Amino acid sequence: MKKNLKQAEAASQQVLSPEEAAEKEALRAYESEILTQSAPHHAGPCLLSARDVTVKFNLRGKELTAIRGASLDVYEGETLAIVGESGSGKSVFTKTFVGMLDKNGRIDGGQLNFHGEDMAKYTKEAEWLKVRGKKIAMVFQDPMTSLNPVRTIGEQIAEVIMWHFGKTHDEAKAETIELLRKVGIHDPEARYKQYPGEFSGGMRQRVVIAVAIACRPEILICDEPTTALDVTVQAQVLDLIKSLQKEYKMSVVFITHDLGVVANVADWVAVMYAGKIVEYGTVHEIFKAAEHPYTKALLRSLPQLGTKGHDLYSIQGTPPSLFKEIKGDAFAPRNADAMKIDFEEEPPIFPVTDTHWARTWLLSPQAEVYRAELIKREAERMDNAVPEAPFNYNGAEPLLQVRDLSVQFKLSGKTFKAVDNVSFDIYKGETLSLVGESGSGKTTIGRAIMRIYTNNVSGKVTFKGDRITGKLSRHEKKKLHMEMQMIFQDPMASLNERAKVDYIISEGLYNYHLFENEEDRVAKVERILEEVGLTSEFVSRFPHEFSGGQRQRIGIARSLIMNPDFLVADEPISALDVSIRAQVINLLNKMKKERSLTYLFIAHDLSAVRFISDHIAVIHKGHLVELAPCEELFAHPLHPYTKALLSAVPHPDPDVERNKKLLHYDPAMHDYSTDKPVWVEITPGHFVYGNDAEIRAYRRELEL
Amino acid sequence: MNRSEHKLCSFPKSLVRNQDLFAPAPFNAAESEKTGASNYSYWKSTLRTFFKSKAVVALVVLVCGIILMSFLYPVFSSVDPTKVSTDRQDWNLRPSLTHLFGTDGLGRDIFARAWYGCRNSFLLAFCIALSDVGIGMIMGALWGYNKKLDPIMIEIYNIMTNVPSTVYLVLLAYIMNTSYLTLFISMASRGWIVEARFFRNRILSIRDSEYNIASQCLGTPMRRIATRNIIPHIINLIIMEAALCIPYSIGSEVFLGFVGVGMPVDAITLGNMVNHGRGSFTLHPYQMLLPAAVLCIITVAFYVIGNKFADASDPRNHV
Repeated sequence: MKKNLKQAEAASQQVLSPEEAAEKEALRAYESEILTQSAPHHAGPCLLSARDVTVKFNLRGKELTAIRGASLDVYEGETLAIVGESGSGKSVFTKTFVGMLDKNGRIDGGQLNFHGEDMAKYTKEAEWLKVRGKKIAMVFQDPMTSLNPVRTIGEQIAEVIMWHFGKTHDEAKAETIELLRKVGIHDPEARYKQYPGEFSGGMRQRVVIAVAIACRPEILICDEPTTALDVTVQAQVLDLIKSLQKEYKMSVVFITHDLGVVANVADWVAVMYAGKIVEYGTVHEIFKAAEHPYTKALLRSLPQLGTKGHDLYSIQGTPPSLFKEIKGDAFAPRNADAMKIDFEEEPPIFPVTDTHWARTWLLSPQAEVYRAELIKREAERMDNAVPEAPFNYNGAEPLLQVRDLSVQFKLSGKTFKAVDNVSFDIYKGETLSLVGESGSGKTTIGRAIMRIYTNNVSGKVTFKGDRITGKLSRHEKKKLHMEMQMIFQDPMASLNERAKVDYIISEGLYNYHLFENEEDRVAKVERILEEVGLTSEFVSRFPHEFSGGQRQRIGIARSLIMNPDFLVADEPISALDVSIRAQVINLLNKMKKERSLTYLFIAHDLSAVRFISDHIAVIHKGHLVELAPCEELFAHPLHPYTKALLSAVPHPDPDVERNKKLLHYDPAMHDYSTDKPVWVEITPGHFVYGNDAEIRAYRRELEL
Repeated sequence: MNRSEHKLCSFPKSLVRNQDLFAPAPFNAAESEKTGASNYSYWKSTLRTFFKSKAVVALVVLVCGIILMSFLYPVFSSVDPTKVSTDRQDWNLRPSLTHLFGTDGLGRDIFARAWYGCRNSFLLAFCIALSDVGIGMIMGALWGYNKKLDPIMIEIYNIMTNVPSTVYLVLLAYIMNTSYLTLFISMASRGWIVEARFFRNRILSIRDSEYNIASQCLGTPMRRIATRNIIPHIINLIIMEAALCIPYSIGSEVFLGFVGVGMPVDAITLGNMVNHGRGSFTLHPYQMLLPAAVLCIITVAFYVIGNKFADASDPRNHV
């Protein structure tokens, strides 16, 4: 009975009037013509061609469409970047190329043509094994998931070579050592016998790349391979992938949400939103002449393009999840300049040039007038922005003073100093950014100030002149909780999954009974929710119902409801999607102005830091190495580590990005055996860490 | 290439729309925040995953039935499980309609005794599960939250788990008079430490998660951290551990009865029944096999339910 109904349903959908069918066919021919017209402009022939790929997932009894008909071609010897935020389906889409969808997912329609076969029709694992790893290989974000922790690196790679090429163990071993050398691992003979745990994150990713290229694949898919790495390491891994691609003449499909990375590696870019490719073009066309409103908005919202003291351009709202029903253009609800038709009908592909197309009604000749108007408006917006004057330190009073702060941890019997003799001041009303790579101790400083660590902290921290380290009375603690608050990095982990938003935000109010009655509390919660741009209907929901950006705003509301003067923001934007970052940065800036807040902003990304901070402190392995006013640091970096960090900052501009010179920092360059380093104020407000000889060299450098 | 030239060459007529639609649409801020809510709820998904397997449903029904029946048996039946018959005719009867499980060497009805035995064994097991998981959780929380306790607790753990449990149980039961209390003390005094270690490890990972640090920054008192931040996150583990504790306790009780240091001879428990049946096993195997079968059904059912619940409560399995 049920089956009959389904068949009838399917039949009724298929029956189209001849005109409709002809129209549909014409549209398909038109779209495929646009998709293939860039072929002569590519470096080689088309290897893999995906057409109208649809992927569905069964989740808790519901059928969800993750990929809604994505079409894309991969050409030989080129790097194609797929850009999109989390949930846009970029990973799922490329996983279909190697048949690695999760158990509850399936390809529901479309074709995947590779070497004359339609891979979308593959049903048996054996069919996939001919392709996966051999012809198309994949590198994942977290290298630990693809390596076996209890086997040596060498054996893992040698096994792949023996398995695929039928070589003897000795031959495979020799080849493995050669491969390890190729991916930039020093002393590969010794490293061959080591376990994944003995490698650093960047080295592990190199090993995973070695495994992936061991079989000489035609296509290498890199799924956010550098997201978990520090900027300096990221730049090195990108260089490695680029050089390997040239050497092996592979096609590389690069999945990322980081536009700086795209500008660095990609020849061609496909932008993905809500399970569809919305724009495709060469890297220059995408960065310099984007047409889809989403791509444009993404590029505009980058902090590098912001003017200090003004709001960043930000994309409103939240990216759609799989549960959202999409009608028309998926981006329309978040697009302030959307047209009526965007809400009515899904836009088709419109060509821009031979090599560039976009899925937006704006490119229709009928929208010509409106499009011209938008371009004019944007030009005006750019002209009007005047940067704010830098923070005035004359007469500014220090709010928080940190002197000789050290934090020690015991790790398997050994004590090690995560933070070593750090001193700095934060002035009332400024934003001081603490920049450093993972493991440098920046989060530890933040937590030591917040008194999360107490027993293992030495040194002195004063807040408004009162000492806040060591033992405090109950009253003093209460006062601190009202004046200092913290915002956290991971919006997934920083909210209690089993509590409703109402409780999460009111937690501080409950602790010190900061409300008169229940009504007053509810009113306070609603007011703060509105301030962070959420509606009061959200109070009765659980955190998992929100997107990352919304959760981060709930976290901000939770700390702001205490009315603090000082906020420690521990990497509040690094876990967020690009389209959401600008929103959160704007919110933090708005709160700073309205509530005259002071921030300690902890970050590893220098591009956002430049936009929001007044002072920047650079930390390396627990030592502050340089501290200077924001523009001064960018103009005259002195410490070699600062220089290396600055050289690695990704720029969302392919011309700049490709010509940038990476500087490497090796701590061994300092000779501190006789001449001990000190923390010196080299010019007013500009501190640097070094010994006498180095300080003299820095002085000379400044005079030049 | 010039854009305006290009688009004219292949623009199909079918893409022409009403010109009015190409006007700006009003922006709705509330609409833009809508991500599309998932239908996810932790407990709903857990229960759904748990009851997805028919075997689990059957086992849960079975276990509930047995528990209910063992407590309600005296209401349905007036058979006295302790009634001894002096008539040889009533001794060692094979299972029949009047005596479903037969009678033992003293003419007592084994079917009735099995229900009473179930009840007593259940009561004992529930008490032990309660104390093991309860004490274990509290000690585990203290242990997890207080780094100074670490060396002491690890020593206690090592000592207590390295002494074979059988030796320990037998010794304790031997020293004290056999009674329910003795059995409870001997099992409960040892069971908590394993639970404590289990909960300590879980709480340790929860303790350092960012939402707990956020609570610390807000000055949340310990009591509220425990009730709002920790217990809701381990309640599934508590249920699972309790469910797994019950078959273990019943098994231990049977074992002690088997080696002769369990309950007093006149107490009706599954352990005692199996032990009695053992003596006449060669002649009347049903006297041991039938109570043992009941025992097996109960312990296996609880193990399966406990493990299936553990799987179902893991969010990774909520598909």
